[in-house]
Amino acid sequence: MSDANAGQPMVELKSVDKTFFRGNEPIHVLEDMSLDVPGGMFMALMGPSGSGKTTVLNLIAGLDRPSKGQVRVANQDVGTMSDGALAAFRARHIGFIFQSYNLLPVLTAAENVELPLLLTKLPRAERRKRAQTALRVVGLEERMGYYPRQLSGGQEQRVSIARAIVHDPSIVIADEPTGDLDRKSADDILALLVRLNTEFHKTIVMVTHDPLAAERATVIHRLDKGKLA
Amino acid sequence: MSLLGIALRNLRRNKLRTTLTVLGVAVAVMAFLLLRTILASWNASIEYAAKDRLGTRHKVSFIMELPKRYVDRIRQEKGIQAATWANWFGGKDPRHPEEFFMTLAVDPASYLDVYNEMQVKPAEREHWLGDRQGALIGDHLAAKLALKVGDRISLESGIFRGTYTFNVSGIYTSQSPTIDRTGFLFHWDYFDQSRPEVFRDKVGWIVSRVDDPAHTADISASVDKGFDSLDVQTLTMSEKQMNNSFLGMFSAILQAVQIVSIIILLILLLILGNTIAMGVRERRHEYGVLRALGFLPRHVATFVIGESVALGLIAGLIGVAIAYPLVEYGLGRWIEENMNTMFQWFHVQLDVMALSVALALLLGAVAGAIPAWRASRLTVIDALRRLD
Repeated sequence: MSDANAGQPMVELKSVDKTFFRGNEPIHVLEDMSLDVPGGMFMALMGPSGSGKTTVLNLIAGLDRPSKGQVRVANQDVGTMSDGALAAFRARHIGFIFQSYNLLPVLTAAENVELPLLLTKLPRAERRKRAQTALRVVGLEERMGYYPRQLSGGQEQRVSIARAIVHDPSIVIADEPTGDLDRKSADDILALLVRLNTEFHKTIVMVTHDPLAAERATVIHRLDKGKLA
Repeated sequence: MSLLGIALRNLRRNKLRTTLTVLGVAVAVMAFLLLRTILASWNASIEYAAKDRLGTRHKVSFIMELPKRYVDRIRQEKGIQAATWANWFGGKDPRHPEEFFMTLAVDPASYLDVYNEMQVKPAEREHWLGDRQGALIGDHLAAKLALKVGDRISLESGIFRGTYTFNVSGIYTSQSPTIDRTGFLFHWDYFDQSRPEVFRDKVGWIVSRVDDPAHTADISASVDKGFDSLDVQTLTMSEKQMNNSFLGMFSAILQAVQIVSIIILLILLLILGNTIAMGVRERRHEYGVLRALGFLPRHVATFVIGESVALGLIAGLIGVAIAYPLVEYGLGRWIEENMNTMFQWFHVQLDVMALSVALALLLGAVAGAIPAWRASRLTVIDALRRLD
């Protein structure tokens, strides 16, 4: 799990606008925003509610398209891709860590981690092996057969991190990864993210409200009313 | 682990709901299967009709009678092996007025000759042939009315006045579905002599057996042609056509059964559709997560339809698994014994079982189609936003 693009721009937002409409009323969430995230960086994005953090995350992750401007991730123009191409892009380049873990309750930890690999042509045994490796990285190899309901919140988030890295993505997107956790579990998760960044050279973009979490990142950006402060 | 495997596991999420849905659909499949079995059994007398028997009736209507002398003329027709006749008596046992059974005035010897798949003990056969007041009854009717050989029974007719008393001379049985085992057969002479003079020497219909079933159409045409120039013309047809024409009188009932069976399918569809729609609504967020991970709309649709089809299939198999023994080891025999005039043969047929399961499966797919379409059209952001 190495990143050959360390130092090269992994994410480039150039003069990006994002406007939503409530009925006919336009709501400008991002205005003329530009941002570069070099490969191998652990970047934290902070800001009050409604500042546009999640919108930035969605644009980088290929979940949304800009109203204006350009979004390039891993040398691809995400903003002009079709829905199918975006899905393939996400499957290949993006690892997601959600605030509420979002594990499928009917699958074991190993099966949840294996989920993104179902989109690859890897044979079953190889998929299982990679899921096991990812769980070992997050320290949960011995809980492979556990269902989410049998795990603590911190453990669930670690499974979620294993799922985010199992397909060796170019960039890991973390949306409030410690928001639902107590301090001790949050610290464990942040330590794991730091390890992914330093040891495995993963580019991480994390949105957080928590200053203590943001401190773990190598770069902190603050957003306010759709603009970088 | 596969996409379909995950879809199947989703069935275990809400066990109570899945169980109730499966039971609901299984009951609907059972009801559908029973109704289709009723239709199939009703038609059994058509399907299993003897190929070498012809029926000749009045050209105008089944209820109009033919001169008895026509029997002799038909017997002389080329290709006819034997011929007999019968009149509908419409008898009822005053002790059991609610019981309906077929009562026919027949010519004993020729009747047994033409309906040679009826099984009667030789001694009882002789006894019946020799007793003008003798009656030969089906084994199911004997069981129902608690009659045995040697008993006396009086019947009243819904058509003819008076009370007719009979001696039970014999009990017949048969393994053929063409034979009504709740029948009550008695001497035509006894019946005819009791009628007013003006109505005598007239028969309800004539049944004949042909040498070669391949020539039934030619023989039928030839028989009818022979009576064309007479006052009373005939209509001759194969036993299958004759049964079909008889059952045509019940076409409204058959249509009603058909309609009810279609309504049951609609109920089945709604039960499945409701469950799947609820599941999709609850899992909208998960579908958003899957889409975020790179799964395509068609993958999401596979999850939904896979679950729906699996529900339909499981319920269909359970419904058939319950209905089959119910009919084969209980209900079917009871119906054959108590409703033999309408259902001489009541069994679940393989094609009806296959149809029931296939329809449950198909309706599972149909029920899942709209929820699957809606789930697959969700945008990732909308799906993730709604519950967060």
